[in-house]
Amino acid sequence: MRFQDAAKDGRAVVYAGIQAEPVVARAASLLADATPTQRVLARAVMNGETTDSAGWMSMFPTLFGPDGADGPERTRSEAILATSLEVADRGEQVRSQVRGAIVEALTAILLERGAAQGAVRRERRILFDGVRAEIHPYDVTVERDGAAEAYDCKWGARGINADVLHQLDDARQHAAEEDEPLKVGLVIFDAERSCRVRLERQTAPTAAIELIALETLDRLVGGTPR
Amino acid sequence: MTDPTTIAHLIDRALSGYADLTTLGEEIDDEWSYVTDLSTAWTDRLQAVASDHGDTAAPDTVVVAVDRALQEIAAIEDPHRAIDWLYTFPQVVLLAMGEQP
Repeated sequence: MRFQDAAKDGRAVVYAGIQAEPVVARAASLLADATPTQRVLARAVMNGETTDSAGWMSMFPTLFGPDGADGPERTRSEAILATSLEVADRGEQVRSQVRGAIVEALTAILLERGAAQGAVRRERRILFDGVRAEIHPYDVTVERDGAAEAYDCKWGARGINADVLHQLDDARQHAAEEDEPLKVGLVIFDAERSCRVRLERQTAPTAAIELIALETLDRLVGGTPR
Repeated sequence: MTDPTTIAHLIDRALSGYADLTTLGEEIDDEWSYVTDLSTAWTDRLQAVASDHGDTAAPDTVVVAVDRALQEIAAIEDPHRAIDWLYTFPQVVLLAMGEQP
């Protein structure tokens, strides 16, 4: 089993531009330290119809109400709201791409907290002897001897589909055939309940694919969810 | 003096708006059964909260939060966006009430 950079085709070039947008790194950095409620705020605002800041604040009284947290938590909530509104203000197609890039960047940040420097990579293919390589790269990989990991990242549960599940499970199986453990997972920036409903409908293999949902993102660090 | 809004009343209002959102999401034929299952799962969760805490008076901030969330979903016209909010709306309502999704 070996890892390789994805081909620099047109899609990769366009997507690299999206990933390099400053708002992506800023949002991912804020969300890496966020509580689950702050992450739901980001999800709601970036999916929202309106960009009225006061309206969003009233929708999240546990963050912005009189009994909400103050100090650094309040400051983070305000920063997440402002950054999410910046994303929401983009056209539908662009904001969809930016949201996907944010989930990938967030995943990479959390994984880097529990991995050696340089082990976490983006947009990588995994090659196996005698097996035709998948066209689509994995969003985020952790490349280390004996404990490699590969993740596909999605903004919403609706992104879970048979192709994604088969690609992840095939990689795990091919790795096992080479006596290489490969942990595979789906990182979904959505409630676990919604993801489970989606997964129950799939006929593709799911048993060996770890689900990391919005409430359990901190498991990527190996720590305890907040 | 009017009676305070209870959690049960608020959840009734939320579920009414959620039903409209579900109807809009069902316009995507390929996702019809998923939309139905998703809506059922979240409706059950909201109804469980109404069963457990229905008689409790809802604080004003929670009433405002749920009404604002209802305004947000009422503005949705695109069925794909409606499906996005079938995930999101129940979480917003539950968190406003201090419940876990």
